[in-house]
Amino acid sequence: MAAGSRGAEHLIEMRGITKIYPDGTVALRGVDFYVRRGEIHGLLGENGAGKTTLMKILSGLLRPTSGEIWVNGRKVSFKSASEALKMGIGMVHQHLALVQVFTVYENIVLGLKAEGDARLRIEKLMEETGLKVPLDVRIENLPFGVRQRAEILKMLYRNVDVLILDEPTTNLTPVETDELFETLRRLKNQGKTVIFITHKLREVLEVTDRVTVLRNGRVVGVVETSKATPQQLAKMMVGREVVFTVSKPPREPGEPILEVRDLWVRNDLGEWAVKGVSFTVKAGEIFGIAGVEGNGQSELIQAITGLRRPEKGRILLEGRDVTGFPPSKLYRMGLGHIPEDRQGLGLVLDMNVAENSILGVQRGRRFMGKFYNLLWSSIRRHASQIIERFAVVAPSLDAPVRSLSGGNQQKLVVGRELSKEPKLIVAAQPTRGLDVAATEYIRKLLVDMRTRGKAVLLVSADLDEVLQLSDRIAVMYEGEFMGIARPEELTREQIGMMMGGYRLAGG
Amino acid sequence: MERQKLIESLYRFAEIMVALIAGFAISGVIMWLGGYDPIKAYRAMLGTSILTTDPYNLAMTLSFSAPIMFTAITFAVGVRAGVFNIGAEGQMYVGALGAVLVAAMSLPGPLYLPLAILFGSLLGALWGAIAGVLKAYKGVNEVVSTIMLNWIAFWVVEYTRVDLLPNPRDPSKTIEMPEPGRLPILLKGTELTASIVLAVVVTLLSYYLLWHTVLGYEIRATGMNPRAARYGGINPERAVLWSFIIGGIAAGLAGVCEIAGRPPHYAITTGLSNLFGYGFDGITVSLIGANHPLGIIPAAIFVGGLTAGARGMQIVAGVPLEMVKAVQGVIIIALAVPGLLRLLKTRLTRGGG
Repeated sequence: MAAGSRGAEHLIEMRGITKIYPDGTVALRGVDFYVRRGEIHGLLGENGAGKTTLMKILSGLLRPTSGEIWVNGRKVSFKSASEALKMGIGMVHQHLALVQVFTVYENIVLGLKAEGDARLRIEKLMEETGLKVPLDVRIENLPFGVRQRAEILKMLYRNVDVLILDEPTTNLTPVETDELFETLRRLKNQGKTVIFITHKLREVLEVTDRVTVLRNGRVVGVVETSKATPQQLAKMMVGREVVFTVSKPPREPGEPILEVRDLWVRNDLGEWAVKGVSFTVKAGEIFGIAGVEGNGQSELIQAITGLRRPEKGRILLEGRDVTGFPPSKLYRMGLGHIPEDRQGLGLVLDMNVAENSILGVQRGRRFMGKFYNLLWSSIRRHASQIIERFAVVAPSLDAPVRSLSGGNQQKLVVGRELSKEPKLIVAAQPTRGLDVAATEYIRKLLVDMRTRGKAVLLVSADLDEVLQLSDRIAVMYEGEFMGIARPEELTREQIGMMMGGYRLAGG
Repeated sequence: MERQKLIESLYRFAEIMVALIAGFAISGVIMWLGGYDPIKAYRAMLGTSILTTDPYNLAMTLSFSAPIMFTAITFAVGVRAGVFNIGAEGQMYVGALGAVLVAAMSLPGPLYLPLAILFGSLLGALWGAIAGVLKAYKGVNEVVSTIMLNWIAFWVVEYTRVDLLPNPRDPSKTIEMPEPGRLPILLKGTELTASIVLAVVVTLLSYYLLWHTVLGYEIRATGMNPRAARYGGINPERAVLWSFIIGGIAAGLAGVCEIAGRPPHYAITTGLSNLFGYGFDGITVSLIGANHPLGIIPAAIFVGGLTAGARGMQIVAGVPLEMVKAVQGVIIIALAVPGLLRLLKTRLTRGGG
């Protein structure tokens, strides 16, 4: 082996990896990432820290803008995932790459030359690794945990030495998670190397040998897990300087506007996504929900805004029970909803600016005549007002919304929702992907609304945003609130711990 | 932005011209290989349908364009709601049946036409609503259900023709629409009746409905993005159902007009031969017209012209009927291809509907 002294120690060396996406987003800034042979290596970080991007580069799905990758002491440059696979590097994604209508067996051998003893080899693999999967059942008929095992088997069958797992426990039950960890330990004992991407502190501490912490596209530190504490990791993960601040005049909250009582909601897979959440948002208050994405925030918002039916619990709007009400009814009662997915939910991209400016209020008296006819002149006036008041840059009212920039699309959504003069504003990830100016502007608008006596429910994966804007904060983890407190009562460390699954003491 | 719109319109126009030229060229080669003179044939075809000053020929063209204008609306409204409603054929059959049922009653003269229109469109709407309910609330693929409903309608109507409402004087057809219930003939000696007026009015109404009413707005929003529609307080299931009902009304009216406004039969004939195929022609008309009511009017007149010109091709140029049909088919397919590709593309990128 023509390896340097390091090559012997490190199976994988990624040196100075920078990744700039075509739209100018800088995902990674000179990352050095080293993995030892035969270890379980945790890759820890918040959303958008660059974990997945880094691993997609290692597995050949993305090409770095600059930087070098060395595997086994040899410099490599992967042009595709199959090239990485040939070098023994395979990645199991959050969204599994399995053909739904094929059986497990068919998925495992898919794309490979027929081998007489394929089945025997798979059965032997299952024996060795403890990954038990029914080979002749179609993927679509299997629960998620089993599908994941099938995907791992598929990688092992392809003789992978380095197994990359991207947030593998997101959709697993606690028992399945334990089983997965057991499997990972076995693989390690057989000499495989595992890279484990996660944001969950507990899991990192439980299963990994070493951890690399990423923040904002940079490596914050590498630690031996046995010497690490959750406090230390939490601080590394979220501790960062505040970029800019929004001035927030003090205000006494008023009457309760939104009350959520012991709410239980299932996700699309039928699993519990929200587990007994209770809170109140008062007039003149911003209630922020922090937490890593995918911990039930989306389902909670959907239940409150009428897009998903809760299984148990009550939602009250100004004291009236509105559980299970459709969006149209909630809008009439004073709900404004800035959805997290503006392009897929908040706008009809192929409709024009004027048409989008009335989405949700199209049956309002201002826009609909006696014969259910649209009052176009009134609609256009409304759209121009939004454009003017909220500084939306649009070529014309007849331009399809698709042609607007992301920031202007969001300003149109925000403008539309705020111009309803709602009593309750639900804002989910309101500034995601926006530039600094648009971000600041939208945050100001939300604070203005609160100061004018509206109730604001803010959900954001951006911790700074939640900390700056909110009067009270809840941190959500796996469908539950880890605690509710005023932002000044919390240290970043505490929030980081709560985001990683530790309850606020006494909370 | 106005400029972008203009560029897009010009692009669409160029697309149609290219498709038209390709269609004519391919069929020309087919005719030439078959030993016929394509130039002479085309001159005869267009000279007896569209490119003519002879009112008789123009009247024939318009009379053929009326039913397919209606059925094109059926398909177009479906596309706007994001569904592939190909049930115009069956909805038209039951619409015609509705008109015949009214014709079989003894009523005061002036009541026949309004009742036939009412009853026929109602039955058409009902037939469309079956597929609509299945699609919206049970997730049944509308292509499959409408094809099945087309055949159910066919045999129900055929059974009625033979066993329930046969014409006592002519066993090959049903009871005729009595004289007072017929749509007036616009040009003596031709088949052109007021059904073309009705068709144009309904087409314009559907334009108004789609772009100037709340229901149309909600249908279009649903078709473009059902998730955003639901977010916007729209009930997407209901919007889809409405699109089937509106489409059913249009197709039902096509059937009514073939009974009340098509000399010489004014009835349903053996094997539904005077109705058969108009529903499917409507799909191509809609695709050629970019699934837009204002595009459908010229598209229907063009396709109607191909049908009308078929006689000229046979008589003047001596091209046999089979060859004429082949030529028509090739031209129509060539014209429909761009629209069809666009439609499939949006449906596939959306992950099917």
